[in-house]
Amino acid sequence: MEQFVQQLVNGIMAGSTYAVVALGFGLVFSVMRVVNLAHPEIFMIGAYAAFVVISGLHVPDAGLDVPAAVALFLGVLFVAMLTTGAAGLVLERLVIRPTRGTYILTPFIATAGVSIALQNSAQRLFGPDPVHVPSVIPPNTFIVGGVRVTSMQLVTFLTAVAIMLALRYYVHSTRWGRATRAVAEKPDVAAACGVNVNLVSQLTVGIASIMAGAAGVALGLLYTSAAPFMGLLYGLKSFICMLVAGNRHIEAIMAVGLLLGVVEAMVTGYISSNLRDAVAFALLLAVLFFRPQGLFGSYEV
Amino acid sequence: MSALLQVSGLEVAYGPVRAVRGVDLEVHQGEIRAILGANGAGKSSIIRAIMGLVKPRGGTVAFGGQALHKLLPHKVNEWGIAWVPEGRQVFSTLTVEENLLIGAFSRRHGQATDARQQQVMDMFPTLRERRTQLAGSLSGGEQQMLAIGRALMSNPRLLLMDEPSLGLAPKVVRSLFDLAQEIRARGISILMAEQNARQALRVADYAYLLEVGEIRGGGSAREMEASETIRRVYLGG
Repeated sequence: MEQFVQQLVNGIMAGSTYAVVALGFGLVFSVMRVVNLAHPEIFMIGAYAAFVVISGLHVPDAGLDVPAAVALFLGVLFVAMLTTGAAGLVLERLVIRPTRGTYILTPFIATAGVSIALQNSAQRLFGPDPVHVPSVIPPNTFIVGGVRVTSMQLVTFLTAVAIMLALRYYVHSTRWGRATRAVAEKPDVAAACGVNVNLVSQLTVGIASIMAGAAGVALGLLYTSAAPFMGLLYGLKSFICMLVAGNRHIEAIMAVGLLLGVVEAMVTGYISSNLRDAVAFALLLAVLFFRPQGLFGSYEV
Repeated sequence: MSALLQVSGLEVAYGPVRAVRGVDLEVHQGEIRAILGANGAGKSSIIRAIMGLVKPRGGTVAFGGQALHKLLPHKVNEWGIAWVPEGRQVFSTLTVEENLLIGAFSRRHGQATDARQQQVMDMFPTLRERRTQLAGSLSGGEQQMLAIGRALMSNPRLLLMDEPSLGLAPKVVRSLFDLAQEIRARGISILMAEQNARQALRVADYAYLLEVGEIRGGGSAREMEASETIRRVYLGG
């Protein structure tokens, strides 16, 4: 029983970052009908941004007290989100907007190209091997009711939750969030109501990129490494989360992200860690077979 | 008196298909003008071109002297034209209230928008009742009210109505056209594309006849009602 709860907790912690990256995919897809294949690389940029800042400041490995560590973490997060947000806006203006249109494959291919370019640039700049990201948070382990949680896991989870709550608030309770939902459903009608659809698109890609950047920082610190191709598998799994959840409700994507984390943890704990990566694909196959519009429904494409 | 809306030589084409061929029409302040014609005549294309949703291949659209034909739809809305699309097209995943708020997007949100929302809900009490319901759960007639209310939220000077009576029960259709008269009484001009010639001519001041993308005739509502062609083809003798 203890192991079950432990794996459940591990799974929720891991799943929360899948959810954040998947939300970025889902947001851009539902609003713009564009699959941004460079999204996982934006996530990778976030991790490298953390690396650059932390190693640039010559911070000793976990040698800070808690308030300083938190301040540094937030500072790194801020810089990374700024960087990835800017990258997203450039991507939208130069690559997505010109290729957006009725044919869904064009931006798909264009962003795929950008993704390859970014991976190779990272390889050029930082070398093909993973770089060590000094862990900023003091490595404490908390034991609550027989369950172990590391401080970094907790920080990652709380960051993810904060981001998801912020996104939910934005989408449901703000003027621009409302406009975003309207554009996702009927862009022509939204435009005729006075919504600048181009601006909403930019905002959406910017927000998705900021989210990916934050997830990149969290993961870079959690695994204390950043690598040029780290976006690949992670991005693929997050993309699968989006497909499985359908693009209608953002809560659905959050739920599926957490679900994937939990199932992976269970499989790792009870069966074999070698099968962990297969879970996502098995889930995808099952859903495509039985309910291709996603578990919670989609808009028409 | 110069016209509020002036459309000259409008050409709309989709690839090789010329849907609108050299159309001239105008709407004067305080009028209801109707574009009558069968399905596929090009009525919707004219409306969409005015709204900026489709780029005309030729011709001009001027509104209060301002050239509109190169503007994006949200700019056209800012200038004072609102659209009631064919088939209602309410945002079904948004609530009734949110639909109305989106209608006012071009206006800064504030007291004026709140006042406007109250006005619209006074006009359509059912919308007030169903304020927090998802728009997708409303009946056809209620969605039509919402679509019109949403358009009115931006305080337009001109309302473009595309086939408002389509798919509605006869009793609802009658009250819909009565509503158009009420809107005109409030100083808002209307250009409507309609297949239901009888009802449209009942309330319109002036009507155009559109056939295969060309204006084949136009005149005051009374003249049109009396015309042989109209009677035979559109009013069933």
